[in-house]
Amino acid sequence: MDEQEFHVSGIVKRKIKFSETCEKRFSITQKEKIFIISKKSIIKVMGMIWLQALVYFSFTVFVLAVLAKVVKYATMPIHLRWELYPVPHEKGRAEHGGSYYEEPEWWKKPRETTLLGELKEMLMEMLFIKRVFEYKRPLWWFTYPFHTGIYLILAWFVLVFIGAVFEIAGFPISAASLQQLGFLSWLPPLIYYLTWIVGVLAMALMLIFGIGLLLRRLTDEGMRSYSSPVDYFNLLFIIAVVATGIAAWQYDSDFTLARAFMKSLITFSPLPSVSSTTVLHVTLLSLLFLYLPFTKMTHFFAKYFTYHKILWEDTPNLKGSEIEEEVKKVLMYRVSWSAPHVKPGLTWAEEASKVGLNEIKVWKREE
Amino acid sequence: MVKEKVRIEDISKPVEQLVKITLDDLMPLPPPYDKPGEEPEVTEPNPDWKNKYVTELDGYIAIDLPWKPKTKEEEEELVKKFLSGLQKLLDKENNWTFLQPLMLSLEYCARCQTCSEACPIYVSSGRKEVYRPTYRAEVLRRIIKKYLTPGGNIKAKFMGDVELNANTVMRLAELGYRCTLCRRCTQTCPIGVDNGLITREIRKLFSLEMGISPTSVHHLGTVQHLEKGSSTGLTADGLKDIIEFIEDDIEERTGKKIKIPVDEKGADILLFHNAGEYLSWPDNIAAFAIIFEEAGLDWTLSSEIVGYDAVNYGVWYDDVQFARIALKHAEIAHKLDVNRIVVGECGHAHKAITVIADRIFVDEYAIPRESYLPLLWDIVRKKKLNLDPEKNSFPVTLHDPCNVVRLMGIVEPQRKVLQEICPQFREMHPNGVYNYCCGGGSGFAIMNSMNFPEFRAKVSTRMKFKQILEAFQDHIEPDVQKYVCAPCSNCKGAIRDILTHYNATEKCGIHYGGLVELVVNAMVDIEEPFIEMY
Repeated sequence: MDEQEFHVSGIVKRKIKFSETCEKRFSITQKEKIFIISKKSIIKVMGMIWLQALVYFSFTVFVLAVLAKVVKYATMPIHLRWELYPVPHEKGRAEHGGSYYEEPEWWKKPRETTLLGELKEMLMEMLFIKRVFEYKRPLWWFTYPFHTGIYLILAWFVLVFIGAVFEIAGFPISAASLQQLGFLSWLPPLIYYLTWIVGVLAMALMLIFGIGLLLRRLTDEGMRSYSSPVDYFNLLFIIAVVATGIAAWQYDSDFTLARAFMKSLITFSPLPSVSSTTVLHVTLLSLLFLYLPFTKMTHFFAKYFTYHKILWEDTPNLKGSEIEEEVKKVLMYRVSWSAPHVKPGLTWAEEASKVGLNEIKVWKREE
Repeated sequence: MVKEKVRIEDISKPVEQLVKITLDDLMPLPPPYDKPGEEPEVTEPNPDWKNKYVTELDGYIAIDLPWKPKTKEEEEELVKKFLSGLQKLLDKENNWTFLQPLMLSLEYCARCQTCSEACPIYVSSGRKEVYRPTYRAEVLRRIIKKYLTPGGNIKAKFMGDVELNANTVMRLAELGYRCTLCRRCTQTCPIGVDNGLITREIRKLFSLEMGISPTSVHHLGTVQHLEKGSSTGLTADGLKDIIEFIEDDIEERTGKKIKIPVDEKGADILLFHNAGEYLSWPDNIAAFAIIFEEAGLDWTLSSEIVGYDAVNYGVWYDDVQFARIALKHAEIAHKLDVNRIVVGECGHAHKAITVIADRIFVDEYAIPRESYLPLLWDIVRKKKLNLDPEKNSFPVTLHDPCNVVRLMGIVEPQRKVLQEICPQFREMHPNGVYNYCCGGGSGFAIMNSMNFPEFRAKVSTRMKFKQILEAFQDHIEPDVQKYVCAPCSNCKGAIRDILTHYNATEKCGIHYGGLVELVVNAMVDIEEPFIEMY
């Protein structure tokens, strides 16, 4: 360790003695030599603690907020059946859009479903955005590469994470194969190159087609008149994150610094010294993660409910089934609608079965 | 006055009429309707209507109640009631029935407009903005954000604004009846957002909270159904007369002596017909009786109030009325002690009692229910009838009722029957689960007040008319008699009206009817044609 670095570390160490928790979290004395902290970056290092905290915070909020939304939808009461064909799990019938209702006395026959059919349709939608391809091809040319960019950037994060784990385990990631890994010596260079290819491709796709989507939103009359400032803001936000990411990449062409950054995040140790562009990028990215769960951009989990719980949900309510139990519960909910033909204060079960025809006549005359 | 490009926020504007349908804008039709002057002109709304009814949207009136507010106070009251209804729509207890699908559809639409081109009304109208599947949904979404969530005014600035006033409420109510709930748009949504459902929820809000709905759907619909026994006004006595008449008619035309079983306790099958069949298409009732008797089925009809009308208009606009009728149907089946309910040629009755009511029926109400279609195919497949397809040697095309096909997944049985008995059967395109609505869906076929039939003829059934004409282009000349098989009362009604509007029977030789009639028409031992086309 050279003198300058030791000196800086000492100052930092004294400063963070103020906080016991900080001391636990950031073991400054560890003898790693990957990054060099200069005198000038003392303030930056303090800023970096703030940045690191922001990353943890926004990621936690993102996960919790998405979970909360999932729980919110998952715990909503059972709804009336409202499926829409084709339902891909209808075995042998999905191709023509059929259901078990095509069978005479269907309740006497076993219900045949295929998980594979459902998975296939799901993946076609997830991986290829099939419906936009089929029904709005001009938009697909923009939205599909953009979404591919999102998938790739997620893959990039996974690759950087894997790379960081390798390095923590003592296997540095570089273009050179690593003999100490024996027959797996090719793994570090694979991760190295894959990270690069996936990362660069993702950035390019998201930037180009993010801007493309923005232009489309502005030029497509149908889309423009339904767009609010937030819709533009969302796209601009993503474009800004990607653009700063590309700028940061200029200082870290092979993502070594990104891996070091991830390593710090995993090991709860101080972040490496990075350019102010990177600081800006990470800050924006964290803010995006904080923001996402509160927007329609989290439609990735909404699709689970719309498809699996509504459009493809054709489970019949058989005697003694769980559905029947659920139905009995909701029939006890109370109705408080105010129209003359509704008798307020009754349960749904009473409203449907016990309101006599005479009573209906009464409100009709009063009207 | 009438704006050319209507925006979301225009729904609140104090203009006399937001859009106007013109012949020039409408989707062109195939020959022989491809030349100007081949279809009747669009009429102007009667000026007197404006005082009582809402003509502010497109000049057409679906809601024929005099509900238009007259004073400032009445306007404020209307907005207040609308908001309280909207709150209940988002409430677990009041709307457990559709809360989850509604919330997801409100929350996650990306406004990508992929669904627009799937909508026959939007496309047929010449792509009038207000009919776009996302238009009313977006209005509702913005109202909720602005008026029912904290910081709404500020949110509206960033997330899209709309002003909620009497104009907004009035136009939104009418907009609830410019969509047939066919849900074709939903099939195309990459996220699974359901704009058809949002439309239905808008109708529901107005009905359940404010008692506002078209007379033919509510007062003369579900209320009359529960009160008198049928939404057609048919009484139990009237029913018995008609059944006797049908029995006589069967004997006269076929020589078969059939006693139509009514209220037979312990029968295997309780058959539910749309009561409209008794009044408008008694041949359909007769055909069912002939087939069921010939096939040796143990079946019965019900003459009990509500039990002789399979319809349940509640599916279109009101969950409470829906549940009342559905339970009544199940109760009647339970009392008759039948093994199963079979639904005849009525699309929405299919979906109502088999699919949607599935999560209302518990305990003794949970009687197995099915469509007549698989049963009919079973009868034909097992050769229980002696059929000669040559007797049906005229061009036949099939209309798929949305409720039976897209919304219930019964696609093949009807096709297999037709392939067996109609040598000149040809499909419309698109068909099956991707079919187009007849234009009479969700109540449109029975809503005949003021100028609403014109909206139906010009806009909502236009796509179906185009499909029918296209299916018969090889023999479009009037001397070749052609048959549109529409196995659903409401679809039949809509198709009847459009054939009349365009004079297509005379001009192109196009007739319409159900599926069972075609089966009986092919029966070898019936000498006279059962289907009369002239």
